[in-house]
Amino acid sequence: MTNSMSNIEFVNTLVNKHVKPLVTDIIDQFQVGYVVDQNEIHLLLSALKNEGWIQMSYLSAVDWPEENKFEVVYVIFNWDKPVYIQLRTKIDRTNPSMDSIIQIYPGAKYYERECHEFFGIAFPGNPDYEKQLILEQWDDIPPLRKDFDPQAYSDRKFPQRTYTEDYSVTNNEPSKAEKRKLRKQRAESLKGGKKQ
Amino acid sequence: MKSTKFSPATKLSKAEVDRKWWEIGDFFRRNSLWMLMYCTGCCAIELPPAMTSAYDMERLGMGPMATPRQADILLVSGYLSLKTLRRLIYTYEQMSEPRYVVALGSCPINGGIYHDSHAVINQLDQYIPVDVYVAGCMPNTESVMNGFVDLMGQIKNKKANGWKHYHEHFAWYKANQITSLGEVDVHDEFHE
Repeated sequence: MTNSMSNIEFVNTLVNKHVKPLVTDIIDQFQVGYVVDQNEIHLLLSALKNEGWIQMSYLSAVDWPEENKFEVVYVIFNWDKPVYIQLRTKIDRTNPSMDSIIQIYPGAKYYERECHEFFGIAFPGNPDYEKQLILEQWDDIPPLRKDFDPQAYSDRKFPQRTYTEDYSVTNNEPSKAEKRKLRKQRAESLKGGKKQ
Repeated sequence: MKSTKFSPATKLSKAEVDRKWWEIGDFFRRNSLWMLMYCTGCCAIELPPAMTSAYDMERLGMGPMATPRQADILLVSGYLSLKTLRRLIYTYEQMSEPRYVVALGSCPINGGIYHDSHAVINQLDQYIPVDVYVAGCMPNTESVMNGFVDLMGQIKNKKANGWKHYHEHFAWYKANQITSLGEVDVHDEFHE
């Protein structure tokens, strides 16, 4: 086995041979990330799988409501060259749809179902992406979207306990945190032999 | 002349005889509690020291039990998601009576740190009756043991009546379960 920096270089040349990544992130010697176009994901994944990135470690999404985009993230791993590769692609948020990758990685079936459940992304090509996996009888917008308010949902769905007595501390002594802050300020002011 | 030998009191009504039998039953029951551990959350980490040589639960006559039908205590350790709550209600209704519920941690009390989660319920006693709460996030093992001793005291003093309450207010509990869960029955690909 060669050293790990050349692994990253190997991945870089391999990826650039197939597609032009929009962004390249070299996170450290074991992790590298690429942002690619939505149509290039399948090409790149099958090329990387042929080169030994046989493990589909994770598939999930990130919500970017300001840009009106979902970012789908694929994480794959190679057991011979220890490099995690992240592939990220931004897709439309109003009608999110991403072609399934179960032809390349069959194990992605459950990740796609999870992703559909939590973000509402459709995965055409996966025969049962719409089946429920984790949430049961969910009746609201997908819960990991940023515009979902978990507090409001919890208040509506689950009864809150009401307390007849107020147990909060009511004495007027300054809190210990305040004292600690003052002490720290004084210590800072005396640093380096300065007199305040 | 009255005999010095033991002679049972005569003319006891049926209710009194029943009460005596219950007292006898409760004596043996509280000294031999079998526990079904529903380790849903992080408070379950307090159980290994409680069960093993450090605190030795067995000196209280308590032991673990594998099946709900033979257990006396349903131990809910930690937060309950909606999905778990369905299974918990199944389990609770399978247990034979009298049955007691002990809830560990602050999550079953008021939601704890998951009070604003979409997936975690806030109050366990809305859905099934709870006899003993052990507060804390997480409670230390001494308080867990103390909770069990409290439960034994409650059984002795006839205060651990959650299972009777469940019968009397069954409609109320069911209504709460329906409000939060939609439907208590489990429908997933492994059960159909």
